Amino acid sequence: MATSCFSNVDEYGFERPHNFNYETYEEFMSEYLKVLAKRARKWAEIIGEGRSLERSITIKRYVRKGIPGEHRGLVWLSVSGGEELRHNFHNLYQQLLIGPHDSHVSDIIKTDLPRTFPDNIFFNNTDRHQRQLFNILLAFAHHNRQVGYCQGLNYIAGLLLLVTKSEETAFWLLKVLIERILPEYYTPTMKGLITDIDVLAELVKIKMPDVYQHVTNMGLPWAVITTKWFICLFAEVLPTETTLRIWDCLFYEGNKIVFRVALTLIKRNKENLLACQDFTELAECFKDITKDSIVLQCHDFMQSIFKLPGSLPSSTILKLRTKVEQSHKDQLNPRAGR
Amino acid sequence: MIDVTMANRGTAQRPNGTQGKICQFKLVLLGESAVGKSSLVLRFVKGQFHEYQESTIGAAFLTQTVCLDETTVKFEIWDTAGQERYHSLAPMYYRGAQAAIVVYDITNQDTFMRATTWVKELQRQASPSIVIALAGNKADLGNKRVVEFEEAQAYAEENGLLFMETSAKTAMNVNDIFLAIAKKLPKNEQAGNASTSGQGRRLVESEGQKPATGNCCK
Ligand SMILES: Nc1nc2c(ncn2[C@@H]2O[C@H](COP(=O)(O)OP(=O)(O)OP(=O)(O)O)[C@@H](O)[C@H]2O)c(=O)[nH]1
Ligand SMILES: [Mg+2]
Repeated sequence: MATSCFSNVDEYGFERPHNFNYETYEEFMSEYLKVLAKRARKWAEIIGEGRSLERSITIKRYVRKGIPGEHRGLVWLSVSGGEELRHNFHNLYQQLLIGPHDSHVSDIIKTDLPRTFPDNIFFNNTDRHQRQLFNILLAFAHHNRQVGYCQGLNYIAGLLLLVTKSEETAFWLLKVLIERILPEYYTPTMKGLITDIDVLAELVKIKMPDVYQHVTNMGLPWAVITTKWFICLFAEVLPTETTLRIWDCLFYEGNKIVFRVALTLIKRNKENLLACQDFTELAECFKDITKDSIVLQCHDFMQSIFKLPGSLPSSTILKLRTKVEQSHKDQLNPRAGR
Repeated sequence: MIDVTMANRGTAQRPNGTQGKICQFKLVLLGESAVGKSSLVLRFVKGQFHEYQESTIGAAFLTQTVCLDETTVKFEIWDTAGQERYHSLAPMYYRGAQAAIVVYDITNQDTFMRATTWVKELQRQASPSIVIALAGNKADLGNKRVVEFEEAQAYAEENGLLFMETSAKTAMNVNDIFLAIAKKLPKNEQAGNASTSGQGRRLVESEGQKPATGNCCK
């Protein structure tokens, strides 16, 4: 490990896991750096020439191949419609910071500040990141009172801040994610989350019936495995660069991407999952599959999410959501359906 | 991370070859955010403490084994998220649990109130034979105490709960509370196997545990 040219902290300040395989990573990076250089050139052409970042076939293809770190904030804002919002309400963020603020909400957020990425060198070494994170979460909680503050948003806002290095940009991106891209994951009832957990289970049932049956037989509820996947959008779950590559697509293509990633994770590890003999082993295996070298190789992984799970039309997801919501209603009120 | 370690806590480990029983139990931790649920688990399972412990999203799963006389008790530990809105997911975690630790922070009165509502919910909705322990955590912060020991103890007695004040920071009473639970759990043939009784539909669970399909104690 001492001989590695990579430090034990990644470029966003996250400590690498103690069992991190530097050798495999160096091999991967020697290839990936070439990809990055090429992508950087391509994006520099578009951005340097002031060409439009509006949604188009080209931009979509570029996004799927990865946005260079320094352009992420800008591109995410453009392709998601956040830029337009920011333009139309340009004073909003500053006004939200002025207040007045609900002290209960601000106390809850404060409790979570030192508990957000405590191992990240930016969050644990300077007050600045914690203060900026506080501002983003406080502003958002007062802006969207239905959501307020939901644990998990701290990780999303925190990563947005690390990437964009701008409080205000992070605020607008958070708003777009919560209000436009994702269903109701973070509201007090978490209705959208509970629905989508079951939608994913239905998709597994359709696409990998043997895995579905096995997980059911072992008695492991899907929520146990996937709540954090949905809530944190893979932050704190997958390696940082992989998460950001996923977010590239998420901002452009919408929440369908979350299902693609989840299905890919499960499908790539199908044999391992099926080999688990009991509940404990299976729960452990579901954690391991988010840490192996497959997910570290973000470029291959991102290519595979568009191939491996097969076709996934939005209409299928919408239909499944309706079906799942109906069955939740019937469960609450079993007589109504008769 | 999931760690499966044989603990040599409790009584000394039996030499190989004796025909002791192995029991597996599902245990869930409940309580307000930031009271120290994850910290208690981390102390019990790995013997560590982090000044800044990440907030738990959804739930975390760990296992730990303790030895009690003739029996090896393996805990499947479910550490849940404390924020109120994650409440709707909680039944999934306490369903089929044979034990629960309801945690509050002795320096925060609201967290004690919240603990009492968790106890009520468990008494109503969880398996009728569930063993419930109440943990008054952060006992090292005695100078900031607002929940009196006697108050919590009286409440625990009224409700038939095990009760200890704990500190994940100093390790005070952490192993002890898990051991006390292990002692109180039934270790006969009917004791549920955590994995099998943990499944099934929520709505029928209240009829009590089905006899385990596989024996937990061999
Ligand atoms: N002084 C002191 N601090 C503690 C103790 N236990 C936990 N803490 C601190 O309290 C904070 C919250 O602890 P956690 O273990 O994350 O609390 P939790 O109940 O798991 O919180 P959620 O995951 O949000 O539900 C952390 O910063 C811990 O370091 C303790 O016994 N003494
Ligand atoms: Mg926790």
